[in-house]
Amino acid sequence: MDRRVFLATTGYSVAGLMLGGPDDDEPPEEVKRVLKARFGNRTLTKAHVQFDIPENAPDGRFVPIFLETDVTPTPDHYVRAFHVIVDHNPDIYVAGFQGVASIDSKIKMRRTSYVRAIAEMNTGELYVSAKKVFVTLNGCG
Amino acid sequence: MATGDARVLLPPSIKNGDVIYVRAIIEHPMDTGFFRTAEGQPIPAFFINDVSVAYGDQQIAHFEWTSGVSRDPSVTFPLKATREAPVTVTWKDNKGGVYHQTVDLRFS
Repeated sequence: MDRRVFLATTGYSVAGLMLGGPDDDEPPEEVKRVLKARFGNRTLTKAHVQFDIPENAPDGRFVPIFLETDVTPTPDHYVRAFHVIVDHNPDIYVAGFQGVASIDSKIKMRRTSYVRAIAEMNTGELYVSAKKVFVTLNGCG
Repeated sequence: MATGDARVLLPPSIKNGDVIYVRAIIEHPMDTGFFRTAEGQPIPAFFINDVSVAYGDQQIAHFEWTSGVSRDPSVTFPLKATREAPVTVTWKDNKGGVYHQTVDLRFS
């Protein structure tokens, strides 16, 4: 095989593997159920939420989390609440923080899972951001 | 230290109009109900599920927690200091325990 052709084809297939597959952050069924119970049929837009969480959390009992948005607050457009969702925790909905512009806290995680941060605006829009966190020690029992 | 010991921390120097960071810490086991003791007895769920923050006579924030928040929970949040008034944080747990802590916000 021509070296150039080989590089081109393998390059594309590797890129394809990285794009699709199990790393997709589409919420699983039970998470969708929790979202639906809490927010109804409102759509979640992937934008504006900025959250810091370590990619590797050695101790699932204490996972630091920091949430904020890049929306400049005005009297008629501000964040009403932040919500934290962990896909594989016994309690999927971990916490809600209402009335603050940013929040710094610690949560527990049972195992490696997506963590979803949702910012609910006063006008009803929902912004979401998801990050996968690798957990070594189970913090939930 | 025992369950319910709490502290609310403000920065040492505050000016009118500053955005300050308030830190609220409470001593609480936050048991999930899934763990067992060394003897195999299940530890019942015991956690804080409701936190509210008041600035003066106005309630400014309300947090809804589950047992998924870490032991001895601490939160840090911004607050715009617009007047001299006490900041009160109230924690409530699932067994009816209510814990208060107040700190006076003074300009200096």
